[in-house]
Amino acid sequence: MTGFTSPRLSAYAAVAASGLVAGLALGRVEPVALAAPFLLALVAAVAGHKPQVSVHLSLDRERVLEGDEVTAKVELASANGVDRFELLLLLPPEVRVEGAPARALHLRAGEEQTIELKLRCDRWGALSIGPLVVRARDILGIRTWEGQAGEVQRLRVYPAEETLHSLVAPLETQVFVGNQVSRARGEGIEFADLREWQPGDRVRRVNWRATALRGSLWVNEQYPERNTDVVLFLDTFAEVRAEGRSTNDRAVRAAATLARGYLQRKDRVGLVGFGGVLSWLVPESGTRQLYAIVDTLLTSDIVHSYAMRGVDVLPPRTLPPKALVLAITPLLDDRTAAALLDLRARGYDLIVVEVSPLELLEPDPESSSQLAHRLWRLSREALRWRYEQLGVPVVTWREDEPLAAPLEEVNAFRHLARPA
Amino acid sequence: MAAYGGALADALARAGSTAGYLAPGAALGALLLAVALVYGRGLGAALFLGGATYLAFLVSEEHHRVDPTAPLVAVLLLLCGELAAWSLDERWRIEGDAALLWRRGAATAALALAGLTVAALVVALSAVPSGRGLALTVAGAAAAVCAAGVGVMVAGR
Repeated sequence: MTGFTSPRLSAYAAVAASGLVAGLALGRVEPVALAAPFLLALVAAVAGHKPQVSVHLSLDRERVLEGDEVTAKVELASANGVDRFELLLLLPPEVRVEGAPARALHLRAGEEQTIELKLRCDRWGALSIGPLVVRARDILGIRTWEGQAGEVQRLRVYPAEETLHSLVAPLETQVFVGNQVSRARGEGIEFADLREWQPGDRVRRVNWRATALRGSLWVNEQYPERNTDVVLFLDTFAEVRAEGRSTNDRAVRAAATLARGYLQRKDRVGLVGFGGVLSWLVPESGTRQLYAIVDTLLTSDIVHSYAMRGVDVLPPRTLPPKALVLAITPLLDDRTAAALLDLRARGYDLIVVEVSPLELLEPDPESSSQLAHRLWRLSREALRWRYEQLGVPVVTWREDEPLAAPLEEVNAFRHLARPA
Repeated sequence: MAAYGGALADALARAGSTAGYLAPGAALGALLLAVALVYGRGLGAALFLGGATYLAFLVSEEHHRVDPTAPLVAVLLLLCGELAAWSLDERWRIEGDAALLWRRGAATAALALAGLTVAALVVALSAVPSGRGLALTVAGAAAAVCAAGVGVMVAGR
C-alpha cells in the first residue's frame, strides 16, 4: 500500500515552525505556546505505523440469474491493527451493492473480521467483481495508506428467461428423431392418412375398420417425430439504449429463452452473433450446447463497425439446410436487413423477431425531430412490408409484453399465409 | 467555525483601538476556513492567518505581560483544524460503526487536552526566571533538539 499524509500535516508543520521562529524573533513565549499543540499533533502523526492487512475476497456463487443476489465475502486480518480501515468493492455497472458501497471498520491487532456485501445483478454478462480499493488511516486521519487488495472474482450472470407456452414450429424437419411432428409421412405415432395396402407394408399398420368397410386392405399412415435445426440469428450491429434498458439486453434474453425451449424439444440449436464482432456456434443438441450458447450470449456486445458484412462470411455448417432461422434484431442496421433478405433468398425458413426500439426513443413533442421520427418509423414499416412480401413473418416484441405474444403472432401468420 | 471564532474573538475584544487593523486578517482567515469547509482547500492558510492575527494582537499590546489565554487560543486553532478535517472526511458515503466516530472524537479530545497541557506547561515554564541552573538549560536544549527531530521526521515521511 502507498502511504500519504493529510494536507493539514504540512499546514500544522508550517504553523508550528512559524510559531517557534516568531517566539525566537519576538522573544515571547505565546508563539511557542501556540506552536506546542501543533507539534504534539505532528508527533502523534509520526508515531503511526504502516498497517499490515491481509484481504481475501470471495463470492458465494459463480453463476447467477439476472436479478439474483450474490454475497461477496471480504475476510480481513491485521497483524498490527488499523485504527480505521475503509474498503470499496469495484463493481461493473451491471451490479450494485445494497447499502453504502464503501465500508469502514476498526481492526485490532491479530483480529479477523468478515464483511458481507449483498450484490444485486441487474443485467446479464460475464462480469469481474473486484478488486477492493482499501484505505487504512490513523485515528486522526493524518496518515493514510491506500492500495488495491483481493483477487478479481469472475461472475457469470445469466439472462432471465421468459415463459413460453409454445414455440414456432419450423416448416421442415431434419432426419433425426425428435419431438417435432414432421410434414413428411413415415413411421411415427401421429395419424396422417389412410391408403391402400402395398406390398411391403407391415400387418400391424392395417386399419381393420377401414378394410372391413371397403372390402380391401387399407393401412394407416403416420407422421414421424423428427428434430429440427434452429439457428438463432442475433443482430449485434446496433442497439438503442436508454435509462439502463437496451434492445440488445432484451434480444439476448429472447435468444437464451428460445435456445432453452428448442433444446428441451431435442432440437439442434445454433447461434450466429452478427455484428461488429462475428460469433457463431454450429447447431448441436443437449445441455452442453445450452451452456455454450448462454456463455456466448454473455459476451455478445454491441461493437460498432463499418465493415460491409454478409452471410457469406459465415461457415457453411453454421446454417444447415432446412434450418429455421430466428432472427432477433432491432432492425436498425442495413447490413442485417440485407443479410436476412439474403438468407430468405437462399431458401431458409426465416422469422424476424423485431425487438422494438420505439419505446426507448420518444421524440420531444415540441421539437422538429417529430418529423424525422415519423420518417424513420415509415422506413421501418417499408422494410417490414418488404419482408412480408417475401413470406417472412416479422413480429414486433414490445418492451411491455411477453415474448410469447410475438411468437403466437408468427404461428397465426403461418396459419393464414402460405409460405413462399 | 465556532472554534476559530472563539480563538480570535477574545483577542479582537481585548485589542481595543487596534481591533480595526486586526479584523481584516481575522475575517480573511474565517473566509478561508469557510472555503476550506466547502472545497477542502485552504485550511492551512486559515490556521496560519488565525495564528498571525493573534500574534499581531500580542505585538500591538502596549504592556508586555505573558498572555495566559495563549494555550487556549492554540488549542482552539488545533481543534478548528481537526474538526474541519473530520467534517471533510465524513462527506464520503462510507458505512461504518458508530464506534469509529466515538474513537475519533475521543482521540481529538485527547489531542486537544494534551495540547492544552503542553502549551500551558510552556507558558508556565516561561515564568521561571532564566539562569536557574544547568538542569533547566539542559531541559531547554533537549526540548529544542526534540522539536528539531520531530521536524526532520515529519519531513522524512
